[in-house]
Amino acid sequence: MTPKRIPRVGIGGPVGSGKTMLIEQIIPILSAKGYKAGIISNDVVSKEDAERMRRNLAADKGLLPEELVIGVATGGCPHTAVREDPSINLAVVEEIESKHNYLDLILIESGGDNITTTFSPALADYFIYIIDVTGGDKYPRKRGLGIENCDLLIINKIDIAPYVGADLKIMERDAKIVRGSKPTVFVNSKTGQGVDTVVSSIISDVLFEAPPKTSKSLVKN
Amino acid sequence: MDTNIDSEDISILQMSDSFFPTGLYATSSGLEALSQVKKLKSKDIFQYLDNYLQQVIGPSDCTALGNAYESCKKRDIASLLHTDESLYYRRIIEETRTASVRSGNQLLKCVSTFAKNKKMLKEYQIAISTGNATGVYPVSFGVVTASLDIPKKKAGLILLYGFAVTIVGAALRLGILQHFEGQKVIHDLKPVILQSVLENIDRPISSMWQFAPGLDILQMKHENMSSKMFIT
Repeated sequence: MTPKRIPRVGIGGPVGSGKTMLIEQIIPILSAKGYKAGIISNDVVSKEDAERMRRNLAADKGLLPEELVIGVATGGCPHTAVREDPSINLAVVEEIESKHNYLDLILIESGGDNITTTFSPALADYFIYIIDVTGGDKYPRKRGLGIENCDLLIINKIDIAPYVGADLKIMERDAKIVRGSKPTVFVNSKTGQGVDTVVSSIISDVLFEAPPKTSKSLVKN
Repeated sequence: MDTNIDSEDISILQMSDSFFPTGLYATSSGLEALSQVKKLKSKDIFQYLDNYLQQVIGPSDCTALGNAYESCKKRDIASLLHTDESLYYRRIIEETRTASVRSGNQLLKCVSTFAKNKKMLKEYQIAISTGNATGVYPVSFGVVTASLDIPKKKAGLILLYGFAVTIVGAALRLGILQHFEGQKVIHDLKPVILQSVLENIDRPISSMWQFAPGLDILQMKHENMSSKMFIT
């Protein structure tokens, strides 16, 4: 029998925009609410992100087993790995679904620029795109598949906006023009500011407010 | 109207297209590790592929493909599973083994959505889902090409050509080659590919072999590199 599909959230964004740190903020909040998630990290040139999440979320905080943070090498083609040929990501998702069907959610992280990054609908049910203010307040206005098409746009590192000359009001205005009614959230992943709103969006728009599947702990004491 | 072409010819083009989704573009078969210890040139890429095709992909993968293909045509699931098991345990590099199984399974899923003659393909998928087979890529490739009625030797050519293109693509992304050089390497490999297929496609599974210890060690080292783009 084919295991039941676990809801999947794709998190894309340029290198250094804060994808990994966002996940490190999301997982503890989800965990406190009883939701259990696995993580797939598409690394462009290193295993660093997957190893960092394994260390911070699994080893140090015990929020999930280390085997539920899985790194995927992309041959230098992160866009391809989550868009036109997501074969390896899908294979990993299916392995998680067959071994860990009690999970409420799978987060799939991938680096990728704002011009071309999107997730294949076969791979992700919901697409979060994250940018930061250091690219300047023109970023949303310059559009691109990621910024225009994502279900939730996150603008990160808002604490340093004044220092890089980025006007958050301009970014908010332009995001509305480019994205219509689709939401944009301003976040500081370092302090966690705004991350509650991101988690609420996931629970309402991806999990449809369903309660956690199991109350059992995933980590052996 | 020219009747010398048919839909099987288009299937050949479809299965040999690097656009076909298998995930293999993320593999370099040890080339990335080698490029970090030695400055490589175009002739080195040719030599690398020449060795790999003659010492591994020909006698091992092409042999497995040929046997899997024949098993499908004879509707012999037992011999198909034997080929699957024989090849799986020859994949001694863990990352390569896992990637081959993942790509093979996705290949089967993809082709099962459009192949008409898929009785053996379905039986093979059932065997995988019940833990009696793995779906390792060359065997899956034999199953799908038999399902699509692609002639066996042509299937062998596609497999070896696809491997060569994957490695040339990796060399391009690693900055070892420029694009014209890549096509020249592929052109120069045509006799090697042809000869490897002819020598190995009808080889019995009992005499399948591979011998490239230097390449195996390279891939083992690559598995543990902290900074890398490719799956071995």
